Amino acid sequence: MDTTFSQAAWLIPLFPLAAFLLLLAFGRSSRMIGVLLGSVSSLAGFVLSLLVLIEHMTKGQHDYQYAVKWIDTGSIVFKAGFEVTNLTALMLVVVTAVSFLVNVYSAGYMKGDERISVFYSYVALFTFSMLGLVLADNMLTLYVFWELVGVCSFLLVGFWFSKPEARAAAKKAFIVTRIGDAGLLLGILLLYWYMPDHALDFVRIGNAFEGGTGVIAASVTTWIAILIFIGAVGKSGQFPLHVWLPDAMEGPTPISALIHAATMVAAGVYLVARTFDIFQASQTAMDIVAYIGGFTAIFAATIGVAQNDIKRILAYSTVSQLGYMMMALGLNSMTGGIFHLFTHAFFKALLFLGAGSVIHAVHTQNIQEMGGLGSKMKITAWTFGIGALALSGIPPFSGFWSKDMILNIAYHEKPALFVIGVVAAFFTAFYMARLFFLVFMGKPKGERHAHESPPSMTGPLIVLAVLAVVAGFVQTPWNDTLGNWLTDGAEQENGGGGLVMVISAAIGLLGLYMGWLVFVKGMISRDFVSSRAPWLVRLLERKYYIDELYEAAIVRPLRALGGLLNGIDDYVVDGLVRAAGGAAFLIGRGGTRMQNGQVQTYGLITAFALVILIAAVALRRFW
Amino acid sequence: MLSSYLTMAAILFCIGLYGALTKRNAVIVLLSIELMLNAVNLNLVAFSKYGVVPSLTGQMFTLFSIAVAAAEAAVGIAVLIALYRARGTVNVDDYDEMRR
Amino acid sequence: MFNIDFTGEFVAFFVFSVLIISGAVLMVSFTKVVHMVVSLAAVFIGVAGMFILLDAEFLAFVQVLIYAGAVSILMIFGIMMTKHQDSGAERPRTLNDTLSAIGALALFGILFYAIRQSDFPEPQTVPDGTVDNTMAIGQQLFTGYVVPFELVSVLLTVAFIGAIVLAKKEAD
Repeated sequence: MDTTFSQAAWLIPLFPLAAFLLLLAFGRSSRMIGVLLGSVSSLAGFVLSLLVLIEHMTKGQHDYQYAVKWIDTGSIVFKAGFEVTNLTALMLVVVTAVSFLVNVYSAGYMKGDERISVFYSYVALFTFSMLGLVLADNMLTLYVFWELVGVCSFLLVGFWFSKPEARAAAKKAFIVTRIGDAGLLLGILLLYWYMPDHALDFVRIGNAFEGGTGVIAASVTTWIAILIFIGAVGKSGQFPLHVWLPDAMEGPTPISALIHAATMVAAGVYLVARTFDIFQASQTAMDIVAYIGGFTAIFAATIGVAQNDIKRILAYSTVSQLGYMMMALGLNSMTGGIFHLFTHAFFKALLFLGAGSVIHAVHTQNIQEMGGLGSKMKITAWTFGIGALALSGIPPFSGFWSKDMILNIAYHEKPALFVIGVVAAFFTAFYMARLFFLVFMGKPKGERHAHESPPSMTGPLIVLAVLAVVAGFVQTPWNDTLGNWLTDGAEQENGGGGLVMVISAAIGLLGLYMGWLVFVKGMISRDFVSSRAPWLVRLLERKYYIDELYEAAIVRPLRALGGLLNGIDDYVVDGLVRAAGGAAFLIGRGGTRMQNGQVQTYGLITAFALVILIAAVALRRFW
Repeated sequence: MLSSYLTMAAILFCIGLYGALTKRNAVIVLLSIELMLNAVNLNLVAFSKYGVVPSLTGQMFTLFSIAVAAAEAAVGIAVLIALYRARGTVNVDDYDEMRR
Repeated sequence: MFNIDFTGEFVAFFVFSVLIISGAVLMVSFTKVVHMVVSLAAVFIGVAGMFILLDAEFLAFVQVLIYAGAVSILMIFGIMMTKHQDSGAERPRTLNDTLSAIGALALFGILFYAIRQSDFPEPQTVPDGTVDNTMAIGQQLFTGYVVPFELVSVLLTVAFIGAIVLAKKEAD
């Protein structure tokens, strides 16, 4: 029952916060200070998180919660505190680990950027917010940090704000996620309204909903769950709010790895897992989560096939994988969702950092302009390959185990989703093969001299590659460690599932083989599809015209409304203001004309005033 | 009969006012002011005879007012001459120091 | 309203009124300054006549003495000591003149309306016409009004000295 490290868990977010504040104060003095502070603070956070995790693994299932009064208005008391559960401990390690590696990596990647200190301060702020989000013990503090990570995402996507695309992407990311945030806020308000004692901390929320005891009506439960899920949809880039995530790739690549692959976008999944009791109390909400997740998984995977921007492919892959996680959660398997989150964090961060390394070398993001980089960038190629295999679900890499687990659940629960998952897995493997072969195999294109990245960049790649290989072994069909640990033994995985395993591995291999056939052997012509069904390729390249649809259906009308309101402001409101000003001006002008220094004019005015005064006094008698 | 005198005084006053406001020669402006004063005096004397309580008070007032008007005329002309010496004109249009 | 009985007073009033109004109108409309002063003197004389009609013989005398005599002469001196370009060279001030006329007419309209509307009660006591007006004023002046009388004498002295000081040439 020793909780030494858990009690000190609140220190973890304070490391990056301190780094952020110090960078804010001294950041401009030196270029290296950012690298140093960012790396050291995240390393310290990582070490402490690891200690917390070990403590949780060895000392049993002991949650630790501590809260202080935040707002006390007499009848209403809001508390702020932190809670360390097994889930939190795991997330802490994931966040700090990826954060540390990205910090190290950025030292090389951002070396030439003159605002590197600002970059590091943003990253530190983000790390702080994300850790705060993870540690939060109630919905309200979680929401505060939830918004903070959104702000950091906005700042970092728009980091190169001189690029118009980056500005637009930052705005888009912020606005689209705001839609989700609004849903989450409504959900929290609803929860606050209906919860006994207006309690918002997770422990009591869990108690209230556990086993559908009916403390809160079923319909209300469904609504709360759906509203919270809308928040998760916005943050985790699920359909239909996925549009911001691919655009967010305008930010620096380490950021794409940290925020838009490993941590922040996983916050939605984490949120659903954290409030899992609410979802479990409503089958409708669970189904919605599952189907949205499944649809997003295949939807994004198909788009990924037709993209040419290396980061966008990975972005759509992220959207797709987040769909898998949601699907797992919707199928009542928290273990599956979190397990995939866990493995995905490592291999997707690896892929993004590898992509960053490639971009660093060739200064383009278009995979059609790359090729033959494998021989020049051996470390990048190998680690990227491992990441690709993990993502494609090839055993024994981590992605295989987590994806297999999700597919296994789907196979047992909802076969339709199983089919979708398998097809999506095929597309995933196919576009990863396409990406890998186009970039690293074949003949070099362009005259650019590509070279391997510096050790500060390849180091994190190697570490992440190792993690991508081994992370999957915490939970295999024969080994329920993670599931038991995470859910207190509540979720007994129906192991076996040999059939699913075979299908899963086979479909991954098939996807890779197809990719190999098309892009290396050339046995199937590359324009096999585009020559026969150009509309299909076009549809995928344009991402199902979702952006255009939103543009036409939402952005344009809103813009028109804004223009109208602006016009009202310009002409009606400002007109009134200008009229008032003009009237005063004219009166002043008239006054100036009257005040011409001529005694007779003054006398004339006085005479008139007298006449008016007398007339007024005289006329009053008739009223 | 009283209203006839009052009307007479009103006519005189308004002509004086018009002259004071329109004439550009400062001396004539002074003269117009004398006209207005005379109109007032006429009123006072008329009330002195035809008022509800006839008494000499109105005439006494007129007497003082004439004395003050005489003093005013003297000082006014003196000021005018000093002003003329300083500005070289008696045109009131050119007396616009108050604007500066 | 205009039920006028043609008494001697009315005839005299009519004559003086014509004298006053024509004098005043001429004063306003003349172009030569000296003519203006002369017409003004006519107005003063007319007012003096009215004073006589109102049983204020002493005031009429003072009026002729001070206004028609002293003030007019003073004005003529003032005119002679300053130079005058006759009107015509002046730029017209149509707006100012029109507005002044409107203002004066409006004021007159209001006054006339008020005078016509007012109901003046008859005097309660008919003044004794036999009393010597001049003597009565003299008695009043040196009994009830002695302080204002002395103050006026001071005022006149101050004005007298002040006028000299102001009009004197600079001793440079």
